[in-house]
Amino acid sequence: MIEVDINKCTGCRMCETACSFYHTGQTNRLLARIKVVNKYETGIDGPVLCMQCKERYCMDCPENAISIGDLGQIIISATVCTLCRKCEKSCPVGAIEYFDDHIYVCDLCGGSPRCVEACTEQALTFVPEKSGVISLSNIKEKAKAMNPGEKRIFFINRAGVDLRKKWRERNA
Amino acid sequence: MLKYGYGGRILRIDLTNRQFSVEDSDSKWFRDVIGGRAANTKRLLEEIDPGCDALGPDNILIFGIGPLTGTFLTASAYFTVTAKSPLTGILGDSAAGGQFAAEMKLTGFDQIIIKGRSEKPVYLMITGSGVEFSDASHLVGKNIISTTEIIRTEKRDPAIQVAAIGKAGENRVLFASLVSSGNRLCGRTGMGAVMGSKNVKALAVRGSRTVQYADPLAFEKECRRMKTAISKHEEYNKRHELGTTMLMNDLNNIGILPTRHFQEGVCDYIDDISGEELADVYKVKNKSCFNCNLHCSRYYYNEKVEAEGPEFETLCGFTSRIGNCDLSFALEMNYHLNQLGLDSISTCEVIGWLMECQEKGLIIPEDIDGYKITWGENDKVKELVNMIACREGIGNMLAEGATKFSKQFCENSQKLVMQVKGLDIICGDPRGIKAYGLSYSVSSRGADHLRAEPYFELTKKWHLAKKRYGTSKAADRLSEEGKARLVRHTEKIALLTDCLTMCKNIGLCMDVLDFQKAANILKYATGIKYTPHSIEKYLGMSVERDRMLNKKFGLKKDSDTLPERFLKEPLKKGPSKGSVVDIQKMVDEYYGLNNTKM
Repeated sequence: MIEVDINKCTGCRMCETACSFYHTGQTNRLLARIKVVNKYETGIDGPVLCMQCKERYCMDCPENAISIGDLGQIIISATVCTLCRKCEKSCPVGAIEYFDDHIYVCDLCGGSPRCVEACTEQALTFVPEKSGVISLSNIKEKAKAMNPGEKRIFFINRAGVDLRKKWRERNA
Repeated sequence: MLKYGYGGRILRIDLTNRQFSVEDSDSKWFRDVIGGRAANTKRLLEEIDPGCDALGPDNILIFGIGPLTGTFLTASAYFTVTAKSPLTGILGDSAAGGQFAAEMKLTGFDQIIIKGRSEKPVYLMITGSGVEFSDASHLVGKNIISTTEIIRTEKRDPAIQVAAIGKAGENRVLFASLVSSGNRLCGRTGMGAVMGSKNVKALAVRGSRTVQYADPLAFEKECRRMKTAISKHEEYNKRHELGTTMLMNDLNNIGILPTRHFQEGVCDYIDDISGEELADVYKVKNKSCFNCNLHCSRYYYNEKVEAEGPEFETLCGFTSRIGNCDLSFALEMNYHLNQLGLDSISTCEVIGWLMECQEKGLIIPEDIDGYKITWGENDKVKELVNMIACREGIGNMLAEGATKFSKQFCENSQKLVMQVKGLDIICGDPRGIKAYGLSYSVSSRGADHLRAEPYFELTKKWHLAKKRYGTSKAADRLSEEGKARLVRHTEKIALLTDCLTMCKNIGLCMDVLDFQKAANILKYATGIKYTPHSIEKYLGMSVERDRMLNKKFGLKKDSDTLPERFLKEPLKKGPSKGSVVDIQKMVDEYYGLNNTKM
C-alpha cells in the first residue's frame, strides 16, 4: 500500500497531476486515482487513495468484476464491469470514483507508483509488504450517504484532528 | 479552434440580463498574446469604453488563464483578473496562485468576461456547460473562507474552487482584493471593488474537461527539467522554509526595508519580525500552490489566529512599515485583511502615510474626526482596518486610498504618499534597488515590482550582467547603469510568466525560464510553433499594448516617476546610506531602447 503522512502534505497536488498524466498523457483531477483535499479553514491538506483496507468493501461487486492483485491493489475488469458504481458507493473514503465511463482506483502503477515519485515532501511512501492492515469500519456507516468528494473531506478532516492537536501542544 | 493546452472556449457573462454565451477561442487572436495577463489586456483594449465608470456596469471584469495553466508544468497555478482600476483609473490587473486557476482550466474556458451589473447579490457557479446565477444574499458580509465553505457544502462538492470578495469588496473599498483558495489574493488595483460593484460575491468554478497536449512525451521532459532546475536551485532550501518572508532579513541587510513609512531602511527590531522568527515560532507546515515543487507558502498557528501566509508584503507592511514590533499582530492582520478582502500594500500605505503626516503635524486630529494615530498603535490599526473595510467614520475616506484621500490636505502631505500612478508602492525602498525604482515608475499598473521584478540586480552575478545587459553594473543594486536594459528584459520575462501563468518567484526570481524554454514548452503543449524570437516580439508588443490602453485611459507620460522622497532625500543610515534615485536618467534610457529587440 501507499502510506500517507498528512503532517508533510502541503496540498500541492503534484501526486494527483502525475497520476493523471502518467496514466493517460492528459491532466484532469478526475482522471487521477489519488485525490488531494485542501481544507482552507483548518490548514489541513491530504491525499486520498485506496488504502487496501482490511474490509475491502468494494469487493462486494454484483458482477464479480473486482479482484485483488499481487500488490494488494484493486483490479477492476473493464470487460466485466457494468459501471453500476456500487464499488464507488461502498468505499468509505472516496478512493474509487466514476468518471467518463471508467472507474478510477489506484493500481500502484504496476509497482512503482508515480505519485510517490512525484511527492517531493515525502508525504507518500510505498510499502509493498503492507496490505489489509487499516480498518475503515469506524467510518463506514458515517460516510454512507456521502458522495466521493464529501467522503474524502470527511476522512481527511478526521486525520487532521490529530495533526491540529500536535500544533496546539507545540504552541503551549 | 485550440485543441491542445488551451481550454479552447471563452465564456461571456451579462449580469444585467442574467445571460451567458460561449464562443470558441480564436487561435489567431491568442497566438500573439499566448494567454493570461497579455490576453486580458488585449481583450480590455478591444472591448472597454475607456471613459466608463470603473465601478459602473460598463466596466469589464476579465478572468484569464493560459495554455499551460493547470497542466503538468510546475507552478502553472496563476490566474489574472483584469478591469479598469477604480483606484487608479488606468489598467488594473492582479494575479493569484493557489488552486483556483487549475480548476478554472477544467471548465474549458480560457477567459471569463463579465459585463453589466446584477440587481441583487449573486454568485456565479461556472461549470463546463456554462453559468448558474445563484442567489448570494446569505453570503453578504461573510468572509472568504466561510463563503467558500458554504458554496462547497450547498453544491455538495469540495473540489469547487472559489474566488470571492469580503466586506471590503462589497463596500467598494477602492483597494479591495479578490481572494481565492482561502488566502490567495488578487490584491492590487481594486479588482475586488469592481466585482463588488457588479454585485457578484463570488465566482465558483468546477470543471471536468481534460487538458490535452500536442506532444505529451516531449512536454513531460521539459517539465521534468524545469522541476529539477527548481529543486537544485541554490535558494531552494531558503525559499522552501521561509518563502517570500526571507526578504525581511534580506532587505534589512541591504538597508531598504521600509521602516516607519520609508523614513528609514533599517529596522532595529528585525530579529523580532523576521521570516526566520516566523518560521521558528509560528509556522506549523508548508503550503503550496497547484503542482509546485517549491512549497514556499506556510501555515501558522497560535492560540489567537491561524491562516496561510503571510507573504513578505503583508509581513513588512504590518510590522516595520507602520512601526510595529509585534509579529503576532502582523499574523492577526494577515488573517483579517485576507478575510475582509483588502490589499495589504494599499492598506498599510494609507495607515502609514497617516501616521507620518500626524507625526509631522501635517494632518491634525481635528482634520479627521479627532482621530490620532502613531507608530505601533496596534489596537488603532486594527480598528482602522475594520473601519476601512466597512467604510465607517474616517474609514470611508481612507477607503479611497492614500492618493485620493491626500487631496484634501496640504501639498506636503500629498508628497508623502508613496505611490506611482495612484498605486501604492510595495515594501522595498527604491533608493537601494535602482532597477526596482525604474520598474515602479514605468509599470503599467502603477508602483509595483511584479511588472518587471528585476531581482537579478540583487544576485551579484557580475559576469552574467555584462553578458546580458552590457555592463556588470546591472548587478549592482546601487547603480543606475544597465538598469534600463535589465528592466526591458525582465519586464518581458515577467509578462511571460503571467502569460504562462507561472509563479514569478520561480519563473523570474529563480531565473529558470527563458524565451527558448518557453518556446519549447508552448510548442509541446499547444502544437503552436513559437520561436524564442517570436515570443520576445509578441511580449514586446504586449508591453506596448498596456501603454496604448493607458493612453486611452488618459494617462500622461510624465507619470513615469517616483515620489520626491526617493529622488531627493537620502537614506540616513545602513548599507544604502546616502543613496537617492536618478529616475529621469533611467526612464529616458528605458524609452530609448527598442522594445522589440534586446
